[in-house]
Amino acid sequence: MATSSVSAAGPRTPRIPEPLRRLTRGLAVPVGSVLFAFVVGGLIVAGTGGDPVVAYQGLVCGGLGILCSGGENSALQISNTIIFVTPLLMAGVAVALPFRAGLFNIGAEGQYLAGAVACTAIGVKFSTLPAPILLPMVLLGGMAAGAFWAGIAGVLKATTGAHEVVTTIMLNYVAQWLVRYLIIGGPLELPGGFSVSSPIGPGAQLATILPNDNHRILFGLPSSVYRIHVGLFIALAAVAVFAFLLWRTPLGYEIRAVGQSQRAARYAGVSVRRTIIVTMLIAGAFAGLAGAVQIAGVDHNLTDIYFSDTTGFDAIAVALLGLGSGVGIVLASILFGALHAGGSVMQADAGISSSLVLVLQALILFSIGANFLSAIKVRLPAIGRSRSTPPAAIAAAATATEATGAPPEKDTS
Amino acid sequence: MTVIGDILHLLTTADLWQAALAASVLLLLPALGGVISERSGVVNIAMEGMMLTGAFFGVVADLAWHNVWLATLVAIVAGGAMALIHAVVSIRFRADQIVSGIAINIFAAGMTVFLVRRIYGVQDIGHVGPSELLPNLSIPILDQIPFVGQVLFQQNVVVYIALFLLVLVQVVLFRTRIGLRIRAVGEHPHAADTAGINVYWIRYGAVITSGLLSGLAGAFLAIGISNTFVPNMTDGRGYIALAAMIFGKWTPLGAFLACLIFGLGEAIYANNSTIHVSQYLLSMLPYILVLVVLTGVIGRSNPPAADGIPYVPGAE
Repeated sequence: MATSSVSAAGPRTPRIPEPLRRLTRGLAVPVGSVLFAFVVGGLIVAGTGGDPVVAYQGLVCGGLGILCSGGENSALQISNTIIFVTPLLMAGVAVALPFRAGLFNIGAEGQYLAGAVACTAIGVKFSTLPAPILLPMVLLGGMAAGAFWAGIAGVLKATTGAHEVVTTIMLNYVAQWLVRYLIIGGPLELPGGFSVSSPIGPGAQLATILPNDNHRILFGLPSSVYRIHVGLFIALAAVAVFAFLLWRTPLGYEIRAVGQSQRAARYAGVSVRRTIIVTMLIAGAFAGLAGAVQIAGVDHNLTDIYFSDTTGFDAIAVALLGLGSGVGIVLASILFGALHAGGSVMQADAGISSSLVLVLQALILFSIGANFLSAIKVRLPAIGRSRSTPPAAIAAAATATEATGAPPEKDTS
Repeated sequence: MTVIGDILHLLTTADLWQAALAASVLLLLPALGGVISERSGVVNIAMEGMMLTGAFFGVVADLAWHNVWLATLVAIVAGGAMALIHAVVSIRFRADQIVSGIAINIFAAGMTVFLVRRIYGVQDIGHVGPSELLPNLSIPILDQIPFVGQVLFQQNVVVYIALFLLVLVQVVLFRTRIGLRIRAVGEHPHAADTAGINVYWIRYGAVITSGLLSGLAGAFLAIGISNTFVPNMTDGRGYIALAAMIFGKWTPLGAFLACLIFGLGEAIYANNSTIHVSQYLLSMLPYILVLVVLTGVIGRSNPPAADGIPYVPGAE
């Protein structure tokens, strides 16, 4: 936290052009947070008798395919990172969009799983259909399932005021147990298998970008080992849709208006309830799409790796670190995708548990959380505030922050 | 109908209620912590991480020193230390309390596994000997009372502590000056501040207390019910405790009632061989019940007014 506040004070020097100043200030918090996390993470490694340089070298190798010491193939590492980045992009949008409406969607994980379940169920049930029919069916089915899962939280928020953080946490766990039920003794279980569903039909699978050919050698390995698939383009399109929706459509205006002040939005003729529900439905569709794309593009069936999946939780870090902007989400997804892909190489090469990645992620969250409100000036509603009254204290704090141009809370209390 | 008959029969056995009470106490401790923290105005979704940290350090200390009481103390302090992080980040730095809570849970999940590998290498963390577990304790004479004796007076030592804490928290929160202050800070911190109450100290104390209680629950789980540490062994119990807190409308007794319902469900499943419903479907029930409660069908459940709002002096 100290790192970021120091760098935030940097651009006060005169004669820096205004756009550059704004850019520097915008980047100060996320970059500072990441640096803070890596410094503290390095101290943790060193403090427990490890070598942080070797650990981070493994992390960079596994994430970006450079500085490798264990003979890893760079192209394969980059391909693995992209596999992690793809769902993060869509799930990140699923968290970032509700942020703009002042809603905290912790439920991207549950919506992601709902999308994966729907994709698998449809892909297995109609496995004989050809791709032009089946592929849209599984992807749209995943979106619908995700939207439904998030819609429950949206409707509860809009009608009874039940806080979306609480409802989406509960829905996450319902989804997690649902996945276990479905593939352990449940209707999706592969006959004779355990903790695994039947595979989806070939028509439901997304094509790989590189030819799926065991004999053609690309970058030193058979090209079939690179699993990057066209879902990457779907994910990038989702981020573009998010940015367009938010800044170029009436709905985007309404979402931002509700996020700024529900009372003001209501005076401007915006239906706050409708906006809350629609925002959650769209967000859930993005997360559900992420789950469907992961099944259709990578796994082709539900397995026990979905029991411990964390995509939807990583998405919270992506949305916060990306400051809710399209470019930011892409950059943050690459960071967290690289961290996840790098973790296993770090564990193999440096003997440092890949769980260090979770520690780094938590440190980034702590750091950015402490600066978060002043950074993007989006007010998060507090648990239990009825939907008509924006939290006065936060509003006042945000105003104070805007007025002084620097986080005021550093020297109080 | 044999299933229902079987359950009805089970409900008349002391074994079932004995198991149900033990299971519910595991949820009650973090739920009490949640009640205290949120009554003071700090949202706490981090009981899961605090419990997990307590479980880990409890096992580590027990393996190192072969003293279960010292290990339990270490677990409690470890839970409190995690809570201190949550408190500093969300009270001092006014971070969003939900972001901080998520970060605590991720931090605990990552840090415990990271440390297992650093301390014990790739092999298993090892098991705690039976003599170094939190013991069961029968209360003489009282445990001879038919039915009630077995349910209430032949329990793990943590169960007695938890039930005592339940009464204590209920009384302190609603019958004492300090309880009034905690609730005042959670409902209207500016008024409390004007009345001379130190909002920050109350909130720090409440959040840290929630960590101490969650740490004790972690010890109960790891070196009472189980005898080792397994990654992510809390398995969502901290969140079920959160659910119990909401279910119980932010009161200790209400939360206990919710924990009993959840614990009873767990015990019925564990003791019944005629139910052929997937355990995974049953595991959803606590979460679905909370969603039903939040629809308002069974009456509203409203949190303290200032829950989740960082306190900024003079900012009203």
